[in-house]
Amino acid sequence: MIFYGRSVVGCAALAVAAQVAVTVSVSPARAQNAAALNAEATMNDWPTYHGTYKSYHYSGLDQINAGNVKNLEVAWMHFPERATRGLQSTPLALDGVLYYSGSYSRVYALDGATGKTIWAYAPELDEELVAKQTHSPYNRGIAIGGGNLYVGTVDGRLIALDLKTGKSVWDTKLLDSKKVTVGFTGAPLVVKDMVIIGAQGGEWTGRGPIFGVDGKTGQKKWEFFTVAGTEEAMKTWGGESWRTGGGGGWMPGTYDPETNSVWWGTANPAPLYDWSGADWKKSGPRPGDNLYTTSVIALDPDTGKLKFYHQELPHDAWDFDSSVGEFVMLERGGKKLVVHANKSGYVFVYDRSNAKVENVWALVKNINFVKSIDPKTGELIGRRDLVEGKVDPPLCPAIAGGISWNSGAYSPKNGLFYRIGQEWCMEMSVEKTTPILEPMAQLNIGATFKIVAPPDGPARGHLSARDPVTGAKKWEVAYKQPPLASVLATAGNLVFVPDAEGIVHAYNADTGEELWSRNNGMGHNAGIISYMAGGKQYVAVPAGWGSLVADEFVALYGEPFKSMSKNTGAMIVYTLRQ
Amino acid sequence: MRIPLLIVSAIIWPFLSTGALAQQSSPVGAANPLPQAEASPDDIEGGKMFATTCGFCHQEGGRHAGRGPKLSKSERSDEYLVERIKKGKVGAMPAYGSVFSDGQIIAILAYIRGLDD
Repeated sequence: MIFYGRSVVGCAALAVAAQVAVTVSVSPARAQNAAALNAEATMNDWPTYHGTYKSYHYSGLDQINAGNVKNLEVAWMHFPERATRGLQSTPLALDGVLYYSGSYSRVYALDGATGKTIWAYAPELDEELVAKQTHSPYNRGIAIGGGNLYVGTVDGRLIALDLKTGKSVWDTKLLDSKKVTVGFTGAPLVVKDMVIIGAQGGEWTGRGPIFGVDGKTGQKKWEFFTVAGTEEAMKTWGGESWRTGGGGGWMPGTYDPETNSVWWGTANPAPLYDWSGADWKKSGPRPGDNLYTTSVIALDPDTGKLKFYHQELPHDAWDFDSSVGEFVMLERGGKKLVVHANKSGYVFVYDRSNAKVENVWALVKNINFVKSIDPKTGELIGRRDLVEGKVDPPLCPAIAGGISWNSGAYSPKNGLFYRIGQEWCMEMSVEKTTPILEPMAQLNIGATFKIVAPPDGPARGHLSARDPVTGAKKWEVAYKQPPLASVLATAGNLVFVPDAEGIVHAYNADTGEELWSRNNGMGHNAGIISYMAGGKQYVAVPAGWGSLVADEFVALYGEPFKSMSKNTGAMIVYTLRQ
Repeated sequence: MRIPLLIVSAIIWPFLSTGALAQQSSPVGAANPLPQAEASPDDIEGGKMFATTCGFCHQEGGRHAGRGPKLSKSERSDEYLVERIKKGKVGAMPAYGSVFSDGQIIAILAYIRGLDD
């Protein structure tokens, strides 16, 4: 994909000419890889976390389809070791091999047709540090490029493994995790020769960096601070509050080759909740907008320089990250757009060239942290800024979000966007606390709270099929508990939803009619994919329960979550019966 | 065994400077208005510490189960709770032994023991 390096031109004809000219100088395998990464649909392989750079979580395979999905059965299973907090990752598939990561950044390469282990890798981690972490020791994904597989660790390293042997190629310490407590749990993203990975942050004191690392050598090339990363941004943190910071980019973004931009979502500032009320620009623990937290940012992948951004929630006072939400790259009416779901339950639609807001729509019903968001400008209307003491009525959505961190899916075949929404609220009391200004193994929360049912019914979830640009709903499936896994759409006119209770469902993509389901025996909290091996289509469903949101389900719903194993997992792979 | 609360208050005061130590000043951003983040006796007040850190998992200030268990009226011994705060439980609760002083841990314990349902 070298040919995209200098394709930032205003003229489409020039861009095409540049691509053609340079394509002849790259190897066929590399060009094929680039084509797969830039396609709308994954085909034989699932080459990157979100499927392709378009981030559709959509497989172009149709061997398994609405007509024969009733014949889907388990082909093979694999069980990861030390699956503390279940299995939360999205696998990748390349040339008939399935790769995935589990807790403690353990990585497995398996024959995609049989499940036979080709190699396994288990890094030695700083266990004393792991014991001090909250969002740990799970790992949410890997990246592949240049003959290597890349995985981050919770003790602050990015590791390259030889794709064929699983042997370590390089192992680079990027974060002083002993100091900042956090590390990496999100998947890296390969862009040209660069591996890009974002640190955890949020409620932890720090500046939430995103790194660019040379894929061949492991050398750090750049670092962008999501907290006060530019002079402009520093002015949006009153006093020393940037030191408490937060931010980070704990889920992978994606790459737009047409503008040579890496899109990444950033996390919330700390403390999560503050007591300044309407005076938040001048008082409280972090006066100001707090750039670039709870924002979508576009970085130059070669330099890490900020190109443009939009802060979805200026001075986020509710812990509604922009880290959640894939970047769905679309064209509509001649416009190049990107659709991004924010944790608040709102979905933002941007102009892909400059992050200008084109529309904003709500995926969930129970929202009261703002009255609305202006669909033309993205301005928050009727902000509900909190003050010390009891918050009445309860805040909606709850801290677990109207949208969680796993991804939706988009079908270019029927133009529908499939997304899980969560309906719940939170009783809370804001406490005036002392922000922590130097990194240490302590959080910055600033409230006590309890998740409760929303005003319009029980705490629940739904999958809806919508127009991604307008939000117009075509159909919806309701769940007693919100599913917490990613969604998969396929050219077989299917949508797969692995749910919280352990059932994986297949629906007719056009109507929402359930066509097939199986019980995987434990809740799902990871990414489902599809791929080909030996001429057959497979659907890989990681199962395993125990994330921070999943942990709330015991108090909310009782069984089966009260008795559900949390420290186990399985990769369960389905194919059509012979 | 319960640790007498009289001892708690005696232990708390020597640790009042902890929050102040955390606030190193820097010329960067000095022109901006100061946040209301002065060190105060709250730094060692168990309820404030609970809201800063523990309330992320132990809901309603510890009165309700969430990610972590309900703590009010816990039948666990003081020794058990102190040990759990210090050492944590991998995959469930972080270890705070290296960051909270003994006095702070006792203050959190006192807060937990004082919770109603």
